[in-house]
Amino acid sequence: MDQAAFSALLAGAWTTAWISAIAIAVGVPLGLALALLREARVPVVGHLIVLYVSLGRATPLVTLVLFIFLAAPLFGFPLDRYTAAVITLILNTAAFNAEVWRAAIRGFPREQVEAARAAGMTRPLYFRRIMLPQIWITSLPGLVNEMTFLIKASPAIAVIGIVDLTRVTNRIAAVTYEPLPPIIAAAVIYMVLISAFVRLQRRLDERAHRLTM
Amino acid sequence: MSTLVVEVRNVSKTFAGVEVLRDVSLSVARGQTVSILGPSGSGKSTLLRCINWLEEPDRGEISIAGQRIGIRPDGKTLMSDRELAAMRARIGMVFQSFNLWPHLSVLQNVTEAPIHVLGVPRDEAIERAERLLDKVGIAEKRDAYPYVLSGGQKQRVAIARALAMNPEVILFDEPTSALDPELVGEVLTVMRALADEGMTMVVVTHEMAFAREAADEIVFLDQGRVVERADPETFFNKPSTDRVRQFLQRYS
Ligand SMILES: Nc1ncnc2c1ncn2[C@@H]1O[C@H](COP(=O)(O)OP(=O)(O)O)[C@@H](O)[C@H]1O
Ligand SMILES: [Mg+2]
Repeated sequence: MDQAAFSALLAGAWTTAWISAIAIAVGVPLGLALALLREARVPVVGHLIVLYVSLGRATPLVTLVLFIFLAAPLFGFPLDRYTAAVITLILNTAAFNAEVWRAAIRGFPREQVEAARAAGMTRPLYFRRIMLPQIWITSLPGLVNEMTFLIKASPAIAVIGIVDLTRVTNRIAAVTYEPLPPIIAAAVIYMVLISAFVRLQRRLDERAHRLTM
Repeated sequence: MSTLVVEVRNVSKTFAGVEVLRDVSLSVARGQTVSILGPSGSGKSTLLRCINWLEEPDRGEISIAGQRIGIRPDGKTLMSDRELAAMRARIGMVFQSFNLWPHLSVLQNVTEAPIHVLGVPRDEAIERAERLLDKVGIAEKRDAYPYVLSGGQKQRVAIARALAMNPEVILFDEPTSALDPELVGEVLTVMRALADEGMTMVVVTHEMAFAREAADEIVFLDQGRVVERADPETFFNKPSTDRVRQFLQRYS
């Protein structure tokens, strides 16, 4: 692999990283919002969220990204491929994150909420000061898990022409006629990205464990 | 202006077809300690939880220092979350299972609501919390987290947390029932001191000695009804109903 191949590889890695980062940054709070809306038991909204979560979790990423990229113009708002990719990953990861958040919200001890209400806290206040700091810690291991899944599933966005870390290895191989080196290099980069998350997850698991004692 | 801090008038409450409170009335004057006794399942917790509207009574009225809780002055519409919170800020509650917030240190448990509910400046809240922790004998644990504390220590922190709000009244729901026997005394000592200082208290308990010595009045509940109401002397020595006599035989 020469210098040009190497920079191409890094560019692909960068594309995977920033698209995933935006999807995570939006998908985590969006998942929380969906979980809260669902638990609020507003009649129609609740059903819509259940539908969205099951569709979002069941639809393969390739299908979803193709659908969003191709269907958007028909609804009058054509998307460039990067926007379509980011939206796809957000919709996908938010559906999974919503389930992680929901488990934490459901498992949150009633006694603590009652202590907060008895102390005169309004709902928004006890959510912010009592619930969120704790469900954040109990959810993080599960959320980090979803983040690693997202990164591993992200090559699907290549189907609409985005040159991500996986796609770029094909491009390089097409020039060098040596497919293995770029693939191995890409695998190493994926591993570095994901092992950072896994290490973070292990640390957070310990914290979550301490909190539940 | 009445000196009644808590006024419960003809409250009834049904859970899934079972009448848990039946036409219960109760009043607590400022500085008084009222003990609620009764067998388990008689509705004691439910009554206490109606007083700060953690449960919504089906019928009847409850007022705190002359102001109705739960229902707006028009007598019809329910209070908003914010209005209820403002009322609850004036009512302390101490739970059987302590219910400390595990992500906050002892000191933070005590300063949390004063700072964020009442808007007390942080320095002032901390100073006051330290005094209260000292008072309940746990000042040296101010930076500890709840999970390292014994039950008795947790409950004393919970009492300091309630006191920090400067409440009109504190409701205690079996505050020593979850404690190992050797830890009961330290909590009761704190509660006795509060009663002596003139704190207004409603105490659900199975500690007969505490009720006898610290309470100004005993209210006995059975199957959701107030069966007897008397000063401790009369209640323990000359109870007027068989139901109370049976109960006292079992518990003393
Ligand atoms: N949230 C609830 N839902 C259904 N039944 C309840 C609920 N809370 C209490 N009860 C029932 O009401 C009765 C009185 O309960 P409680 O007030 O806790 O009694 P006590 O505190 O005197 O032991 C019990 O039979 C209990 O099972
Ligand atoms: Mg009870």
